Parts: sequence; C-alpha cells; structure tokens
Amino acid sequence: MATERYHRGVVYLLVVLLALPVLGTLIYSLSERWDATVLPHGLTLHWYTTLWLDDRFLMAFWHSLVVCLGTLLLSTILIVPAVFAIHYYFPRLDRWMNILILLPFAVPPVVSSVGLLSLYADGPISLVGTPWILLGCYFTIALPFMYRMLSDSLRVINVRELVDAAHLLGASTPRAFWAVILPGLRKGLLASLFISFSFLFGEFVFANMLVGTRYETLQVYLYNMRNASGHFTSALVMSYFIFTFALTWMAMRISRQERT
Amino acid sequence: MSFVEVSGFAKSYGGNTVFEDINFVLARGEFVTLLGPSGCGKSTLLRCLAGLVSLDAGQFRVEGEDITYAVPQKRGIGMVFQSYALFPNMTVSQNIAFGLKMQKLAAKVVASKVAEAIELVELGGKERAYPAALSGGQRQRVALARSLVVEPRILLLDEPLSALDARIRRSLRQQILDIQRRLDLTTIFVTHDQEEALTLSDRIFVMDRGRIVQQGSAETVYTRPANEAVARFMGNYNLLGPQESRLLLGLDIDGHLAIRPEVIRLFAADDVTPGLIPATVMHSQLLGNVVRYQVEAKGVALQIDCLNRRAADLLSDGNRVMLHIAPEDLQEIAP
Amino acid sequence: MATAKLAVIAPAAAERRPAFGRWPGVLALLPFFAVLLAFCLVPAAWVLISSKPADGGMWYANFAEILSSPFYRQAFGNSLDVSLWSSLAGLVIAVVGVASLRRVPGRLRSAAVAFTNMSSNLSGVPLAFAFIILLGTNGTLTLILRHWGWIDDAHLYSLNGLILIYAYFQIPLGVLVLYPAFDALDDDWQHAASQLGAGPFSYWWHVGLPVLAPALAGTFILLFANAMGAYASAFALTAGNVNLVTIRIASLVAGDIFLQPDLAAALAVLLMALLALVTAVNHWLLNRSYRGD
Repeated sequence: MATERYHRGVVYLLVVLLALPVLGTLIYSLSERWDATVLPHGLTLHWYTTLWLDDRFLMAFWHSLVVCLGTLLLSTILIVPAVFAIHYYFPRLDRWMNILILLPFAVPPVVSSVGLLSLYADGPISLVGTPWILLGCYFTIALPFMYRMLSDSLRVINVRELVDAAHLLGASTPRAFWAVILPGLRKGLLASLFISFSFLFGEFVFANMLVGTRYETLQVYLYNMRNASGHFTSALVMSYFIFTFALTWMAMRISRQERT
Repeated sequence: MSFVEVSGFAKSYGGNTVFEDINFVLARGEFVTLLGPSGCGKSTLLRCLAGLVSLDAGQFRVEGEDITYAVPQKRGIGMVFQSYALFPNMTVSQNIAFGLKMQKLAAKVVASKVAEAIELVELGGKERAYPAALSGGQRQRVALARSLVVEPRILLLDEPLSALDARIRRSLRQQILDIQRRLDLTTIFVTHDQEEALTLSDRIFVMDRGRIVQQGSAETVYTRPANEAVARFMGNYNLLGPQESRLLLGLDIDGHLAIRPEVIRLFAADDVTPGLIPATVMHSQLLGNVVRYQVEAKGVALQIDCLNRRAADLLSDGNRVMLHIAPEDLQEIAP
Repeated sequence: MATAKLAVIAPAAAERRPAFGRWPGVLALLPFFAVLLAFCLVPAAWVLISSKPADGGMWYANFAEILSSPFYRQAFGNSLDVSLWSSLAGLVIAVVGVASLRRVPGRLRSAAVAFTNMSSNLSGVPLAFAFIILLGTNGTLTLILRHWGWIDDAHLYSLNGLILIYAYFQIPLGVLVLYPAFDALDDDWQHAASQLGAGPFSYWWHVGLPVLAPALAGTFILLFANAMGAYASAFALTAGNVNLVTIRIASLVAGDIFLQPDLAAALAVLLMALLALVTAVNHWLLNRSYRGD
C-alpha cells in the first residue's frame, strides 16, 4: 500500500538522517586518508590503537569514570532515602518535589557556572578546579531522571501500607525499607543509573568551566584534541559513542524488563 | 479485668475530629465488628489501635498492660489491610515468614510455623508463588496467615473482604470465623457491610461520625437500633417523623418511630378486623425469596417485605390492602 | 548507674512515639536538600544578586549596558535566531517522523525508537566534531557534494551551520517527547475522517494538529529553552568565535582576557528572564486554547 510505503520511507529517512554523522565518523576513523577524494583511502585500526595507547586519553577516561561513578554513588545515597522519605513521611510534598527537581533544567549550566565560580573559587569552600565540585553539579544533572524514575517505581506500590505491615510484624523502619521497599526500587534505580551515566559522561560545560585541565575529563580532553588529526578525533568520538550507546541500550533493556 | 480496655480515644486532623470519646472493653476470644458508613472514622481507629497513627487522647490496655504509647512492633497486634499489603518482592512463604524472621527464630522453627500457617489457610502448593500471581481470595488468605503466624494477642481486620466478589466473600467469611474460633483470637473486624457484621460478630459496635453510637449483640443492634443513624444503617427501617406518626397511627411522639419492613403484615382489602390500616400498593420489587412493596397508607409511604410464597399471592401496583403493625414492633428512637 | 539513666530516658522515648515521628524523614531529606541548595539554588540566587555592577552603581546599570550595546544585542539576536529555527526544524521533522513511526510494524518501530533514544546522547563536543568530519571544510560529505557540484564551499562555521547542528540534536529529543503525546490521537478519528471524505492532509489540518497543539507547543518550548541554554557544541565548533549569549556569559567568567562576572550574571539573568517569558506566553496561549479536560 502507498501509505504504508510512505510511513516506512519516512522512518528509514529519519534513521539515516540520525545515523549519518555516526557513520561518517566511523568510516573516517577507520580510513587512512580521506581529504581530497570522494572515497576514503585504506582501511586501518591505526587511529584506535594510537588512541587507546595514549596515556592522556586513558587518564581522561579514568577521570570521567571516577567523576561519573562517584556522582552516581552520591546521588543514590542522597536520592533513594529522600524519595522514600517523601513517599512515606511527606506524601503531600511529592507534587512540589516534582517541580523542584526540574529547577536544574531551568538553569542552564553556563548560568549556574557563573554563580558556582564566584561562590566556590576561593574563601571557606574552595572547590573550583577540583573534581569535588563536579560531584555536586552532576548530582543536579542526574537528579531529575533519578528522582522521577524512583518516584514512579514507588508510586505503583503502596509504600505506607507495606511499611505499616512490616512494622506490625516487628520490623523497624530502616529494616522495612531495606527488606520491603528497596527490592522494588532495584530495577528503576539501575535503569536511571545507566541513563544518568550516559548523560554525565557527555557533560562538557561544567567540566570545562569549573575544572578544565586540572582534572581533565573525557569531554574536555576531546575538546583539547581539536587540533589533532581528524582521524584521531574520529576514533575518539567513535569510542565515546560506542560506550554511551552500550550504556543507553542497557538502560532501555532494563526498563523494558521492568515493565513486563 | 477485661482483656482489652479502650478508654477516651480521640483523634483529630487539623481541627476535624476523626473520632472522639471511644470507650469499650473486649473479653478474650471475642469477635467484634466496627460497623459504620465510610468516613465514620473506623479505619483510623483501627490504625490507632495498631499504633500506626498516633492518638490525641485516651488509654489502651491489653491484659492490664498500658500500650497506649508502645511502638507497633511491640504491641502484639496483627492486622490484615484492606489492600492486603503483601510484600511484592517476596513469595507466599517469605511473606508469611517475615514476622518470624524479625523475631530471630531458628530457620527450622520458622519453616514449620510457616508450613502450619499455609495449611491453616489452605494455600498448600502456592508456597513459591509471588503475590502478583495470586487471585484476590488467595492474597487475602496470605495476608491473614502472615498476621496469624506471629501469634498476635489481637487481630485487626480492615475491610478484608471488600475487594472480593460475593461468592468468595461468603466462603472466606466462614473461613475467617472458623480460624478465629479455633485459635480463640480476640478480633476486631472493620466493615461497612451490615450483612458481614451480623453474620460474624459476637458484638457489633456501630460507629457514626466519629463516635460509637451503639454496642450490642447482632440481634440487639438489628432489632433495637439506638438512634436514627443506626436504624438507617441497619436494614431498611421505615422511619416516621412526628407528623407521619400522628397521621398513620395517631401517636404523639417527639423523636422518630422505627418499623422494620418485615414486621408489617398484609391482609385482604375487605378484612374488617379492627385496628387495620387501609393502604395502596404503589410499586413492587421481586428480590427472589422476598417481595418488597412500596405502599402508601394515610399519606405515608412505607416499605414492606413479604416472603414470596406463592405467585398467586403477589400484589400488583394499585391493589388495595390492609396493614397490621403490632404495637410491640414500634420503636421510639431518640432524635 | 546505667539503670538509673535508662529509667530517665525510657518515658521520654515512649512519649516521642518514634514509629509515627517524622524526624527520620526530615533527617533523610536534609543532606539531599543541602546539596541541591549548594549546587543549584544558591548559585542561581547568587547570579540574581550579583548582577549589579561590581564597582558600584545602580542595580540596573549592567542591564542598561547590555541592552544599549550592539554587541550584546547581536548575541541575543543570534541566540534567538539559532534557537528559533533549529527548534522549528527539529519539531517539524519530529512530528512527521513520529506520525510515521506510529504507523509502521512493531519491530521496525521499536528499533527506530531505540536508535533515536541512543542518538539523543549525540550532542555537545562529540557532535560538533562529527559534523566537522562530515561537513567541515574538507568534510566527507562536503567532498561528495562539491564533487557533484551541489555546493562550492562549506558553511558549517556560520550561523546556518549552527542551526543545522542544533536541529540535529533537537530531532531525537523532539521524537522522544512527542512519541507518547501521540497517544492523544485516536486511530478511529482518521478512519472516521476518511469516511467523511477527508484526505490525510485535511485530517491533520482539522483534527490531528489541533488536538496535538498543546503537546506541540510544550515540545517547542522545551526545544527552544534547550537551544537557548546550549553551549558546548557551539563552543566546540567555533572555539568561542560565534556571538551567542551562552558563549558571551562563559567568556566573561572563564575567558582568558577580560573577566567581568557581574556582567555575566546580568546576561544570565536576562537569559533566564527570556526563557521565563517564553514559558509564560506558552502557558497563556495554552489556557486560551481548547482543552480536552
């Protein structure tokens, strides 16, 4: 049928459009030279081996991992009890929380960097230039996703009654939380962690403005390599893409499992 | 000394009284129903007894021990929630074992007690199932087993049958009663269903707008309602105001007269026995074994229930009849 | 002595009724709010407060300077330009794409949605680099297009190039946000419309788009705000040599030459005010329009 062909066509076109930069970068990263001719010259893994043997790259990768995983740990420790507290102790605040957690969206990183730079550059709390400040900033980036997904997981179970039932059977509140509520949060938490990880891994503004080369993350390294060979940066970009694609894919798999 | 003593319970939320002046005593092994319309405060009262909601005033003693301020964990009270509150991440066995594990009992003891409880509620074969895979009736029985296995001193049931369909409700009702009798367990059952209350209870506490307005056996509450609210809630009483009483019966009273629909007797229109009241059938409704007539007598609308004995006896709309109401079936109710 | 101590503590502990107390909840929320305050609310408030000139002067002096400076006015103009066109382009492509996505077989649909989901991570610096490789002066696509004689030179480093890149990262976002919104459309409506003689175009014009209008407006605002606040891809593409508001703000606080945090704060306040204004207008329009509930 004509309409079916049209819809298929549009979807394929959309996918090709979105895939074009990735494919271009992939081919570029695998070719030896591609500067004057229409088609690339020579297939090689040379750029990838150079990249993955570069100490500065590995260090930046390591820094990114440390900052992202550290943030996720911090966020989990702060957000999971907070979501539970909202649902169990202050259910009426849930509405306000849903607005509050969107604030980091309303303030672009460039804007809050202005405040952060003046607040924490020197004086009593001197965080600028250290990875510590990124933990705090990245917490605000992860917050909307993590809070929403965890809150949704809690909304489908009756937190109050489950904890009440556990109390009557002799469990303390922390024990009830650990044995009854937390297991229900596991998948939502895992999915939101993967999603947040891929977001944080791609963060550039805070990292570049607040820390820069003093604790170079992958994105900042990528930017600082802008004058290197295009093939080399392509390999770098592709490595990053593949890494985040894998993470997003896993996040989607987990959240799909949760729904069924 | 009574087994359970509740005195002066009161609770309000931000100026709205949920309940006040709640006083009652229970004997060991008694089955009591808190009956009342939704919003009368009965569920909150149950949660206060369990220690899940704090009281504003009052005292709560069980076996002479004051547990007004005890934490829920230390009260020795079991509760079945309306939503059952089964832990979704645990199997049937794990749910039932939870309270025993909190008591740090040996694994062997836990296993044998769980097996006993599963047998008690007839859930053999479902030990490894998760709550999501169970039917409503099965979930209800898991919830019951979970609260019974820790051997509570008092069992609280918060409308445990309201989410089930009529047939399962009736069989579970009997099962709950059997188990309660066997364990001689002091039980407080909350419901808004008068049939449930009448069939289950040793005593019924009728609650209305935050107060217990009548305490008594099923028969007393049903036949001798203490006030208008109880009369309205129990059965389909004909409630006559002062003016209607004068019109129909020539009686002068201040409050209301309550007449149960099944005590009014019908006679043929040509019956000349003295004391009969002429009436006209306005509407009839066949309920199976009972026929419910709406009649009008001397300008007063009445509802009458008759046994449906023979089809030939059924009256049609517009038929004229004579009524008889025995004086001992008239109940004067305080306003 | 221990027993005496216990005797003193026990009644007080009983009075507190820990099972119903809310203080554990407060305790759990405290660190959460502390971090949120320190890294989001206080910096944002700081920006508001510090927008007045550092060397004294009236609170509005910086705003007056910005509004009277052709350079900063151009920055706002460019930002608005890039955001508006890239959001519109992203929205149109997303609408057409989602309308078709909802009509293709399940396997293809879920694969395409999954791919869109993944490509929503393509933004910022890596995206700019991918575009340089594709469409830069010696980009692969540039070579092909030049070979065929379609273009004579690459324009990636211009405002139009920015619109292209921005539109690219707006498409996946638009698709993901709009996809659930299309639930509002009942499949039978299109059947009913065709029974009444309406073609696809009439259906969309008279039924589909009006029903979706609130979702479309909301998505547009989201894309627009996203573009106005975007910084990384523009910065990476032009190394800061393009006049956008976010680039100006960043260079005033973290540039190499001339730091003026108070002026940056004033620019930031204006940017947030602009976003607030757009959101408010959107709300106002939505409240005037037809709503289903």
